[in-house]
Amino acid sequence: MMKSTNKTILFEIPDREDPNRNPKLLRVVMSNEFTRIDFGYSTLRIYDRGGWIRIAPHTFIEVEGTEKKYKLTQAEGIPIAPVQHYFESTKDWQFFSLFFEPIPQENCVIHIIEEVNPDSNDFNYYGVDLVMNQGNRIREEVIF
Amino acid sequence: MSIKNTAYRRYKIIDSMLTNKMRRYPTMEEIQDACFDQLDKLPSTETIQKDIRSMKEYPPSGFEAPIKFNRTKRGYEYTDPNFSINNTGLNDQDINSIKEAIDLLQSISGSRVSSKFSHAMEKVLSSYREKFPKTDYKRQIIQADTPPTSRGFEHFDLLFSACRDQIPTSIVYYSYRNRKFKAITIHPILLKEFDNKWYVVGYSERHKGMRTFGLDRIYEPHLLYKDFIDVNKEEKDSYMNDVYGVYPLNNKGRQKVVILVKPLATNYLQAYPIHESQHAKKHENGSSTISFDLIPSMELIRLFMSYGSEIRVKEPSWMIHYIEKSIK
Repeated sequence: MMKSTNKTILFEIPDREDPNRNPKLLRVVMSNEFTRIDFGYSTLRIYDRGGWIRIAPHTFIEVEGTEKKYKLTQAEGIPIAPVQHYFESTKDWQFFSLFFEPIPQENCVIHIIEEVNPDSNDFNYYGVDLVMNQGNRIREEVIF
Repeated sequence: MSIKNTAYRRYKIIDSMLTNKMRRYPTMEEIQDACFDQLDKLPSTETIQKDIRSMKEYPPSGFEAPIKFNRTKRGYEYTDPNFSINNTGLNDQDINSIKEAIDLLQSISGSRVSSKFSHAMEKVLSSYREKFPKTDYKRQIIQADTPPTSRGFEHFDLLFSACRDQIPTSIVYYSYRNRKFKAITIHPILLKEFDNKWYVVGYSERHKGMRTFGLDRIYEPHLLYKDFIDVNKEEKDSYMNDVYGVYPLNNKGRQKVVILVKPLATNYLQAYPIHESQHAKKHENGSSTISFDLIPSMELIRLFMSYGSEIRVKEPSWMIHYIEKSIK
């Protein structure tokens, strides 16, 4: 198994079998301090004025083949339940990021679990394949 | 009269020697040697004497430097021990010129002038506040179209660096048309403003070609350690110069576009040509036939439609049908 050094690595997640999945899983960022997962959500016509979104506080990441659960530590762009973000229309959208405890920087398959026994409204994502040499290191130092 | 760069470099050397408290009263030979060490060229005695004379002149040609040859110490000195040409900095004329430039830039660019520039200029001018109280440059004499700060403009500095230093950048992009998010790695080439909106243009790995991305639709850009993919110059030039607007229509290459223009719109289009390929043939009644050789874009079609009955597209036929369909 290939191991990387302790850098911040960004993975762009290719469109999966279901490209219309909503929210769409866009990127995973692995660092020493956190694992960040970026999502994009477009509101649906089935909900009145686009409905609402929120993330359960007990959401976690699981690395396939291990038992450890990496807890949700922070959310940006989406409130943590019971608070909800209400949309204004069926044509709205929202970019949001979930921060978890850092997972080991090595090739792995992760599952993002909001509810262990989910219904159709829960954000569960299984089998996200992270191959280290397909990620790219983020430049931390930026000279403007 | 402006100071020549080579002379200015010698002035700086002379100044540093005259302000060196550890080794005062440098001789002519020592000044010549110092110039030789730092500039790789030995100036003549006459050159240094001329430099000293020039430095003693009044601004703007000189610095009014109080240089005197001390006969007792047999070397040169500043009679005012606190003097340095570095302290003289900007003269009144320089400051006024800078202030005019700032006013002009701020009027034209408004909030688009990045805060770092404003901050830097504030620092430069802060020493001169007493001479130029704030109130003397508050009267606005130029007004340009300056929209309020837009979403995504906060990425301007980062994307500017990415373009300047050719750094691949991962962005999340939301398409208003498709209502879909995408994670895309772009190899940015330039930032472009069109119709008060900002865009970044570059090679998109996902699209395998040049694309334009509105800053307002970009989320969380990250600069990456990755080899930069440069697009060949021809493709780049064509993409940037052959298009009116920012979004060239897919599968529409460079082509001839002809419009019939009524007299009123003819006046505007003659005064403000929209593309360098624009060629107008004016008719007796004041109307005109205007042709372009460019890559059609949505912005071009929207512009034509915005003139209503003043403009009628004559060529190409697909554009005529497109407009007819849009109106229905």
